[in-house]
Amino acid sequence: MYPVEKNLSYYMRESKKSDGNHGKKVKIAILSSFTITGLAETIKVKCNQSKINCITYESGYNQFNQEILNSKSNLYQFNPEITFLVIDAKNIFKDDFDLFYKKSIDERKKIVDEKLDEIIELTKIFVEKSNSKIVVSNLSIPSYSSLGILETKDFGISQMILEFNKKMNSRLKNEQSIYVYDLLQFYYRFGEQNVAEPHKISIGDIKIAFDYIPYLAEELIGYIKPYLGLNKKCIVLDLDNTLWGGIVGEDGFNGIKLGTEPPGNIFKEFQHWLLALHNRGIILAINSKNNPDDALKVIRKHKHMILREEHFASMKINWNDKIQNMKDIADEINIGLDSMVFFDDDPRNCEIVKMALPQVLTINLPKDPSFYVPLIQSMNNFNLLKITNEDKKRGEMYFHQKQRSDLKNKTNNLEEYLGKLETKVTIKNADETTIPRISQLTMKTNQFNLTTKRYHEEEIRKMVNDSKITVCYAQVEDKFGDNGITGSFILDSKDEKILYVDTFLLSCRVIGREVEQTIMSFIIDKAKKEGFSKIRAEFIPTKKNFPASNFLEECGFEKEDNHWIFNTSKEFKKPSIIGLNV
Amino acid sequence: MSKKLFTLISRVLDVSETELKDESTPESIENWDSYNGLLLVDELESEFKVKFSVEEVYDVHSILDIKRHLKTHGVILDD
Repeated sequence: MYPVEKNLSYYMRESKKSDGNHGKKVKIAILSSFTITGLAETIKVKCNQSKINCITYESGYNQFNQEILNSKSNLYQFNPEITFLVIDAKNIFKDDFDLFYKKSIDERKKIVDEKLDEIIELTKIFVEKSNSKIVVSNLSIPSYSSLGILETKDFGISQMILEFNKKMNSRLKNEQSIYVYDLLQFYYRFGEQNVAEPHKISIGDIKIAFDYIPYLAEELIGYIKPYLGLNKKCIVLDLDNTLWGGIVGEDGFNGIKLGTEPPGNIFKEFQHWLLALHNRGIILAINSKNNPDDALKVIRKHKHMILREEHFASMKINWNDKIQNMKDIADEINIGLDSMVFFDDDPRNCEIVKMALPQVLTINLPKDPSFYVPLIQSMNNFNLLKITNEDKKRGEMYFHQKQRSDLKNKTNNLEEYLGKLETKVTIKNADETTIPRISQLTMKTNQFNLTTKRYHEEEIRKMVNDSKITVCYAQVEDKFGDNGITGSFILDSKDEKILYVDTFLLSCRVIGREVEQTIMSFIIDKAKKEGFSKIRAEFIPTKKNFPASNFLEECGFEKEDNHWIFNTSKEFKKPSIIGLNV
Repeated sequence: MSKKLFTLISRVLDVSETELKDESTPESIENWDSYNGLLLVDELESEFKVKFSVEEVYDVHSILDIKRHLKTHGVILDD
């Protein structure tokens, strides 16, 4: 369920104003088989409101074929990063859309395959020729058929389109830079009666009514946010009237509403949805004013609780103010406030957090809890362009992290602690399966990152294929579990004498455990073996990468102008605690 | 009500209200292109709770025409 949108004319007007100057920039192209004017303007305005500078390009009416096939077209000159191709069945199937009954069923099946081949071929050509990802829509299905009630017994137009959509998904599933946007589901959600206005279709082939363009824009921005690394990583939850109905401190363990009967079932349903997000890699945390014993008893013992202690990376259940708790959660799980969403039912709490921490996306839950699930379902902030193994295991990893800090608290000195962790680092060259994760690390790692260079998948792939560039990743394991791919570095050997460290980064989960020194020792060994006399590295300071500021100096690099140089004739003391596999 | 109409047109076409008069046409108002014309139809329909036919949409060549068609749908604009 989406919040009610403003009119399209609002967005048209706003789009004429100049944007703010934001850190994030993106170039978006829109191609379509029907008139979809206004979509580009709306995306631009919405991006600006989310602090993204978005430059858009819109191709002419039904010009997408020519634009993609002609390498000199305006589309390629614009050089987009993400391209949306929105198509409709009538313009794709042309005469066969209305006159399909003139063909035999075998012929109809052949038409579906031919049309699909054309579209898939086009998207592949485009990806080949451009530097852009492409998001192609599937087809909406008309809710009527000239076959009437026999449509489902025959292979009519609806069945043809269903077949088209199904095959499209399966044929594009493994394409790295091509995504299918489910336009059919968009029609389903808002209803053909609303989205398809007969007037607008006959006047200007406007297949999506003006009022629904802003909703479509919102959906498509769901691809832009993760591309720019603006997706949210962590959901912070209140407890009373959020995860269960009522107030545990007043209503008691047995008095709260959580179970199979309404309204308890609503809260159970909400927890199910949160658990699904958790399994997709979203971190969960609690920020609640409560008596910890009361609340923990519910979390541990209530038979209808879906979310248990192991699902929360951090639990702040106390009487401290919510702002301080938010900051503590961010510190504890080591992520930025700007990647957190906060859910609370109390408008006052929400206002306070919003005012003090505008970076956090604060959501005031609707008064009626039945709308909790529809609200979270409609949010486009949790999308990822790819779910890596690390994402799937993230929840588990944070639970291990909690166990690690317990061990650290029990152990007297750092060395002893590191020894007990039994850390192993594996360093390997990037390959097709690990490129998405490496790109994700360059996009997201802010703290231990020497150069903070952001690379999209396509860029990493190019470097992997370049014989002068080495892209490696580091996988870190210890006795509590596998941290997954948590480090990466990129070495450039265009200069035969000096090896240049283009990127060196480590996820904050593994900082301070001598993993960074171990990886550096690997780089130094490699440089020696391959005959480089020097290693050149850089530290480019940002607001967030302070933790990496002394690293080069500690490793024995010496400052020369803006660079740090390591003379490979020098010895480097490798940490002894960590096992290194190559 | 006439005031309401002019306010709406000025907002959708992004032109100051003082520039608008009954005789204004798509030719005299820069932003009044075919697309904004349709956007205007949409806003008029939701503001005055009416539905124009395709013929009516095509028959708009001035603000006066808009008034005329609104009147057919029973919208009274007293000046």
